Amino acid sequence: MISRTEPAWKRVWRQSAPHRAGYAFILPVLILFLLFRVWPTIDGLLLSFQDYRIRGGTTWIGFANFRDLWDDKIFWGSLQVTLTYALISVPLATVVAVAMALLIDRAIAGIAWYRAIYFLPYITSFVMISVIWSWIYRTNDGLLNGLLGTVGIAPIPWLTDERYVLPSLAIMAVWKGVGYSMMILLAGLRAIPATLAEASAVDGATGAQTFWRITLPLLKPVLFFVIVIETIGSFQVFDAIYVMTGGGPVRASYSLVYMLYDESFKFQNYGYAAAIGVVLFAMTFTVTMIQRLMFGRGEA
Amino acid sequence: MSAIAVSEAGQPAQDGRPSAPVSRTKRILLYTALTLLAVAMAMPFVAMLLMAFRPDDVTALRDIFFSTSFTLDNFRANLRNDSMLRWFLNSTIYAVVSVVLVLVLSSLAGYAFAKKRFFARDKIFWLFIAMLVVPAQVTIIPLFILIVKMDGANTYWGLILPTVANAQGVFLMRQYIIGIPDDLIEAAKLDGASEFRVFWQIILPLTVPVQATLGIFVFLWHWNDFLWPLIVAQQSAMQTLTVGLATMQSLVPSTNSMMAAAAISFLPSLVIFIICQRFIVQSIASSGIKG
Repeated sequence: MISRTEPAWKRVWRQSAPHRAGYAFILPVLILFLLFRVWPTIDGLLLSFQDYRIRGGTTWIGFANFRDLWDDKIFWGSLQVTLTYALISVPLATVVAVAMALLIDRAIAGIAWYRAIYFLPYITSFVMISVIWSWIYRTNDGLLNGLLGTVGIAPIPWLTDERYVLPSLAIMAVWKGVGYSMMILLAGLRAIPATLAEASAVDGATGAQTFWRITLPLLKPVLFFVIVIETIGSFQVFDAIYVMTGGGPVRASYSLVYMLYDESFKFQNYGYAAAIGVVLFAMTFTVTMIQRLMFGRGEA
Repeated sequence: MSAIAVSEAGQPAQDGRPSAPVSRTKRILLYTALTLLAVAMAMPFVAMLLMAFRPDDVTALRDIFFSTSFTLDNFRANLRNDSMLRWFLNSTIYAVVSVVLVLVLSSLAGYAFAKKRFFARDKIFWLFIAMLVVPAQVTIIPLFILIVKMDGANTYWGLILPTVANAQGVFLMRQYIIGIPDDLIEAAKLDGASEFRVFWQIILPLTVPVQATLGIFVFLWHWNDFLWPLIVAQQSAMQTLTVGLATMQSLVPSTNSMMAAAAISFLPSLVIFIICQRFIVQSIASSGIKG
């Protein structure tokens, strides 16, 4: 009865009530998300085609930034540094994390304590541990060379030699981050039915055979997730380099993100730096897509 | 020997899978490996603390570990440093305000994405998830330009607001709230509860565990964050502790004093870790939340 006398706009208003309620709940986060996440992503792409001046006078320059990158030896150097760093840190982190997950995957007295200690570095900031490891790695009066000296090993220039700087940074990053990957892998190990390993033991398989033939194949999706996370993280290496090496010695640790920081916030070449950002995005996107194609929709 | 091992194996494990029967030698080897690894993992922390409590003139390795001289001067000097206190305050504001905002915003949106039907709901949710692929470093230049144009450089809101629309938080909340039975919501509505009341009195109390998980991680992300505070809050009085620490390090100070500063910067995270250790570690396995 009421609906017949009700004007059309009122009906629409009433029927849209659930929609309005839904939008009222998501609106605060949606506005912030569009403004501070979606728009900057689009703008980052636009910037890479501009000669951007923060005080006005911006011009569109097409692919000039990318052409300049192509001819820029420093850019290729930073790409090489980033990929070398990934090539060192990702396998190292993965192997250590698997070993540690296997080690703590048992219910024995005190295991929670060990797990907590292994995990502890993960909650630190890169800046704080870089401060500590700057001292550990110092050539003349550093902790590590001091310890090695007691067994007669000559001082090693951990951070000041082009050959050692990336492995040194990678070791520190593995120390900091391994607790996270370890926990993810541990969850993966626990999801494998214990009966499988028992059956293979009954069939006379050694521990190593069980690991390579049963555990590892079943762990593959989780393992791949960890590798992807580690790879993406290694592409973004910055904080430790900023504090410990400043990109040196002689640009031996001058990573992509460090170059992005340098070009934008030191030299105000915002468009050029945005082009580096596009390259970084392409690298991250490729790795993520490979994971999606191989294992479908992995969790988060 | 084997009888003991079997009876042990039969006991339900307190944590994880039941332990397989192990011989005593294996057990000793296992604990040796675990302990050696623990020493290696803890060594940087131990060295930091030892160095922080030693006077400046203790530099020889043996003295750092075994000297009897002990001082609080390094901590005192840091805590008397007004800049240090200001940075600590700034980091606290950055982390705590962000935690509150992320929790409020994420649970509001997570509830709507989980339980409400509205136009383009799933497409909008997909947008949140899809944006996770874009690294923060990629958006940092446009974001900086935007904040500068909005006059937000060197302000708290300019530092905080761009970081609180957290897609991981929205995702986590939605996944959790989806598991809450619809009957509870319907019953409250039949009793005449308003939309907001349903959220406030039914949904929020049930999400306390996931709020705690997300809250801890958001705190750690912000407390440890570096690149964004570095570029958007460049004035010394507005810098966060991580940025301040990096600045101090670049001035080549005494190692002892730097170790004390590092220890101070770690204290809040450590306290949270000690209180919520089991909780933090388990939530990684169950939710895959990533810092």
